[in-house]
Amino acid sequence: MLLPLLALFALPLCLAASTEANHAKLVQLAAANDGVIRLDQSTYRLLTSPRRNWSASVQFTAMDKRRRCTPCREFGPSFNAVAKAWSKVSSAERDSHFFATLDFDDAMPVFQEMNLQSAPVVQVYTATEGPRQSASGRTAISLDFSQGFEAAPLAEQLSHYTPVPIPYKPPFDWSRAATFVFMALAFVAALRFMAPILRSRWTWAVIVVLTSLVMTSGYMFVRIRGMPHSGPNGQWIAPGYQNMFGQEVQVVSMIYGTLAGGFLMLTLIVPNNLSPQRQRMQVYLWAGVIFIMYSVLVSLFREKNRNYPFKLLF
Amino acid sequence: MPFAYQLPSDVSPATVANTSSLLRIIALALISGAAIASRLFAVINFESIIHEFDPWFNYRATKVIAEKGFYEFWNWFDPTAWYPLGRVVGGTIYPGLMATSGVIYSLLHAINLPVDIRNICVLLAPGFSALTAWSTYMFTKELKDESAGLLAAVFIGIVPGYISRSVAGSYDNEAIAIFLLMFTFFCWIKALKIGSAFYGSLAALFYFYMVAAWGGYAFITNMIPLHAFALILMGRFSSRLYVAYSSWYAIGTLSSMQVPFVGFQPVRTSEHMAALGVFGLLQIIAFAELVRTHVSSKQFQSLLYASVVGMGITGALAIIGLTYKGWIAPWTGRFYSLWDTGYAKKYIPIIASVSEHQPTAWPSFFMDLQLLIFLFPAGVIMCFRQLRDEHVFVIIYAVVASYFAGVMVRLMLTLTPVVCVTAAVAFSSLLDTYIDPAEPDVLEDDSNTGQDAPTSGTSTAVSTSSPAPSLKKAKKAAAAAPPAGPLDGLVSTVTAAVSSSKKAGKPRGVFGLDTRIAVLINALGMLFFFVMHCTYVTSTAYSSPSVVLASTNPDGSQHIIDDFREAYYWLRQNTPETAVVMSWWDYGYQIAGMADRPTLVDNNTWNNTHIATVGKAMSSSEEVAYPILRKHDVDYVLIIFGGLLGYSGDDINKFLWMVRIAQGVWPDEIQEPNYFTPKGEYRVDEAASSTMKNSLMYKMSYYRFAELFGGNQAVDRVRGQQMPKVGPTLDYLDEAFTSENWIVRIYQVKKDDPLGRDLKTANAFAQGKKRKRSKPQVRRKAVS
Repeated sequence: MLLPLLALFALPLCLAASTEANHAKLVQLAAANDGVIRLDQSTYRLLTSPRRNWSASVQFTAMDKRRRCTPCREFGPSFNAVAKAWSKVSSAERDSHFFATLDFDDAMPVFQEMNLQSAPVVQVYTATEGPRQSASGRTAISLDFSQGFEAAPLAEQLSHYTPVPIPYKPPFDWSRAATFVFMALAFVAALRFMAPILRSRWTWAVIVVLTSLVMTSGYMFVRIRGMPHSGPNGQWIAPGYQNMFGQEVQVVSMIYGTLAGGFLMLTLIVPNNLSPQRQRMQVYLWAGVIFIMYSVLVSLFREKNRNYPFKLLF
Repeated sequence: MPFAYQLPSDVSPATVANTSSLLRIIALALISGAAIASRLFAVINFESIIHEFDPWFNYRATKVIAEKGFYEFWNWFDPTAWYPLGRVVGGTIYPGLMATSGVIYSLLHAINLPVDIRNICVLLAPGFSALTAWSTYMFTKELKDESAGLLAAVFIGIVPGYISRSVAGSYDNEAIAIFLLMFTFFCWIKALKIGSAFYGSLAALFYFYMVAAWGGYAFITNMIPLHAFALILMGRFSSRLYVAYSSWYAIGTLSSMQVPFVGFQPVRTSEHMAALGVFGLLQIIAFAELVRTHVSSKQFQSLLYASVVGMGITGALAIIGLTYKGWIAPWTGRFYSLWDTGYAKKYIPIIASVSEHQPTAWPSFFMDLQLLIFLFPAGVIMCFRQLRDEHVFVIIYAVVASYFAGVMVRLMLTLTPVVCVTAAVAFSSLLDTYIDPAEPDVLEDDSNTGQDAPTSGTSTAVSTSSPAPSLKKAKKAAAAAPPAGPLDGLVSTVTAAVSSSKKAGKPRGVFGLDTRIAVLINALGMLFFFVMHCTYVTSTAYSSPSVVLASTNPDGSQHIIDDFREAYYWLRQNTPETAVVMSWWDYGYQIAGMADRPTLVDNNTWNNTHIATVGKAMSSSEEVAYPILRKHDVDYVLIIFGGLLGYSGDDINKFLWMVRIAQGVWPDEIQEPNYFTPKGEYRVDEAASSTMKNSLMYKMSYYRFAELFGGNQAVDRVRGQQMPKVGPTLDYLDEAFTSENWIVRIYQVKKDDPLGRDLKTANAFAQGKKRKRSKPQVRRKAVS
């Protein structure tokens, strides 16, 4: 009778002791692994135990090649870089916030339990006890990737939940600087040989025309929105008027280029041909090319804008 | 020399000249008519009404000018905008548009034509589009000839890319700005061409008008220096350039500083530094040229050269240094976001949130420019063939504008003129080649090429100076490689066309009548298609006032949805004049213009914190929002809800931007992920997150929405989601008005409880009492 009661009284003590022990274990794990704890199911439970005086950022990912999670592999280095930056703060603060990663293949049940359909996901588990207990009472917060997978915005977002801001500084990109310097030097060195090419108006004409072709085919849209090159199952025309895939840029700029080329041929080149038969053939050829390509373009546009009432050949 | 068809030969040159100039005038008049007429769809389909959002403010400001005069307008402080801050209107706007309408208004009244100011505002944009067509004609005439100019005028007159901003009723700065842009560019090119200080000053005057009219004047401020700089790099410095640029810059900058909103920016901000830098560079080069003509010593010249380069570098470093010291303001966010395209989304969500600041997908280009978009590169190549100073300008303009138009939908407007100009050059070159009746001599007798070259056949695109060596080279090339097969022939003609851009003396032309007819019919068909396309796009896509919506009845007749005006007039007639209305900033100008009530925020997005405050109130729970509303004296809250009708531009769809903007200021209290379901979906139905369901915006949108369906499943037609049976309840607000189709909903903010209770407990108490009273009734009903 007395014994269980005693045990009951001892429970808080035990729990406190075990919290201490857990914390020590986590600190050790973090130290062993360059600041990022590699979790499995049991250590995950340990880290996210409902009574904790520490906080943690956990990356849910699927690094294995078979999982084909390109964003995961894109995001992994950023997370590690931020964790590494965190491991440089003084130990008192460092040990109250952990960075950890949980791979799908190590802990499938956790993913199922949390109902995670996609990766990568970063969850912040705030402290439930102690001085850093979260004021809002929310224990798990998931971050959003609206600002991309880079390390800088990640560090900025996570700094809201760490005791001190993460001292993350983007590494100086030596290779890029070196490439830039090298290119500049090579350019200056080659200037002597390149001068005739640079002085030629047709070099510039090609540059200007290619630029404007690519720009008017929606290249910047693809670039800014980060659209994929083509859709799932080989579909290359994105449905919808304000939407497009990367491949459309190529196709559309090629059509524009062909049409412009047809006009130039008819205007500039064909009249120079002084044989009547050959010239006539060329005139009809290019007029045909223009008509057909224009029909293709219009039908492509109808594909994007279903209400468009006009059509040529197709 | 053979001809494909005969021209009348007994016409005197004077008659030809007179007839052609008469035809030109008639054509320009018709083009103006077409340009104005195609912009009147909005007036005919709907009514003579001001469109959209910003025009409502311009209209309101113009009314002040018309009623009280210009000085009163200059000193106008508007206490009803940005309540409680107010807004100094005279110093924070570009007054060009309002001043223009004011001048027209007083002019018409001076000759006793009592035209309503609203009609002037509605029809200003179509009127100026006719002037744009004319100035584009003048501009293109300088590039090629009159026929290209007329084509360009037709193109710009009816092209949807320009109509989208200048239909009748879209009374915005762009309405007059494109005319000013094109005319300034025309004056600049003309000044450069003839080295005229007169045209340079004219360019400066119109530049001043442009500065007074539109913030996009920075485009001119950077285009002209860029052009001048490119000319210097090409070794084309001349006294003409010096005179044109100096007169433009000196007068233009001084006069632009007279606009209060611009003030000292031309010497204090980075956007204007390019113009200043090129001005300095030109002075240095002109000085060096002057010295060079007076000094012959070779050493001295090299010394001079070094000192010029040194001075240039020192000047550039000085500008950079001043920028670092803070004397010159760095690029503002709006301009910077054009280069670093991710910038706006990260740091100024208010700019990124505007739909016209999104990047452009290719269908938009085709929709707005149709065949011009692929004639554009062809025209650029034509410019490269001649490459006079003005062609360099068009080429630079083409590259810069096509990049900008790709980054922002809105800047399609600046691309449109250059596309029209280059497309007209390409198209008229084609027509020139195939209309010209002269046929070349057949290849067999190539012994006398060059001697009796048909002058009429080469009238197209002949540059005036043709150095003899290149001519000889071309002839040699043509003679050395007699075409053997069709491919060889093609190759040799391509090389000949490319290598001898100055092709005077080389016989060229088209054989036969059938080829001419085939090409011309093809071309005319394309032009016809272009007209059909423009009419279709203008009438369906760009002529909606967006204040009034149109839908079709089952029998095909038009049904007008007039919820906005219904609600704004309700406000005007049923609320005290001092009642403060809170809404998202999109509707600020409309509320001020149509309901005439003070607003918290409006489309002049100068105070991000104030907008974020509104965003926070909308996105937090009632308990949090109520103190904010009370502190800002808000009496009514107005929201736009499209769920019943399927109107997709409503506040729930804009809601995430409110959240984002609020999060930018209060990251601890508002967090975007909380408004998504755990799976990361944006939902409004049963599965919506609790933060979403408790937000003021959600509650106001769906308050009593389910009741409308009478026990059936309520469906949100915009999001296509099924709403919960039991809708949200409101404790701190009262529904005051809901328009016919539920698009506008207005809520009144309750005053503090007279007994000093919290409104929620007071409500619960009231409801509790009611429930107690009704309980016996229910029981009785159950028994019977």
